[in-house]
Amino acid sequence: MNPHPYLRAFLAGVFVPTLILPVLLCVFIVVRLVLESPFPIERGLVFPLALVPALWGLWNMLWEWSHPSTHLPLGLHGAFLPCLLGPAGTLLATHLGVLELGVSSVTWFHAVQIPYAAVGVCFAVAVAAYYLVWKYVVGFVNRTLGIA
Amino acid sequence: MKMQGTGNRDRGTEAFEQLLRRAVPPAGDDPGPERDLWPAMQRRLNGRDEVAAKLGTVPWFDWALAAGVAVFTVAFPAAIPVLLYYL
Repeated sequence: MNPHPYLRAFLAGVFVPTLILPVLLCVFIVVRLVLESPFPIERGLVFPLALVPALWGLWNMLWEWSHPSTHLPLGLHGAFLPCLLGPAGTLLATHLGVLELGVSSVTWFHAVQIPYAAVGVCFAVAVAAYYLVWKYVVGFVNRTLGIA
Repeated sequence: MKMQGTGNRDRGTEAFEQLLRRAVPPAGDDPGPERDLWPAMQRRLNGRDEVAAKLGTVPWFDWALAAGVAVFTVAFPAAIPVLLYYL
């Protein structure tokens, strides 16, 4: 008997980004209120605070649903998530004014300038980090909740 | 019950000795632990082995990826807020 497996899969997926939320809030408070940065970084917070956790949960639900037929390892399944989050986050950040797309580089928060070549490296690092986090952390939570 | 003592008796210490004997309960003839402590000790020892075994089963590819991510974040700290945005 395995009651409500999708609910548990959602909770297991939401677990990791929920742990990151206090860190992001601390960064926001320090940068915006303590250091009094003029740039309104709260505009971009909707993506990591609201959408990313929900997408992690839904992505884990998708793995729970598709795993019996695809047999895709959890780490690889998680490594595909940046392919969805990357364009979505970029689109949202561009519309909210957090990200400016230049000719040869992108500028985040009016402060961090990253050349397009480095964006590719950042994406590769994000994929690697997602692979490891999904394989070991989300996998552990899944096993603990009796999903995997 | 076997009464134990040092054999040295100073005058005026009898009352203090009686107070101590009343305050501290007798240990009994064979005061052992209430439960067997060895299984708990064995679990702890096995737990250490389990952690070492789990770390040993992590493939070299994953160690390399973790090292790459760590090196990148140390080398390019400006990218950390961008990575946090997507996490």
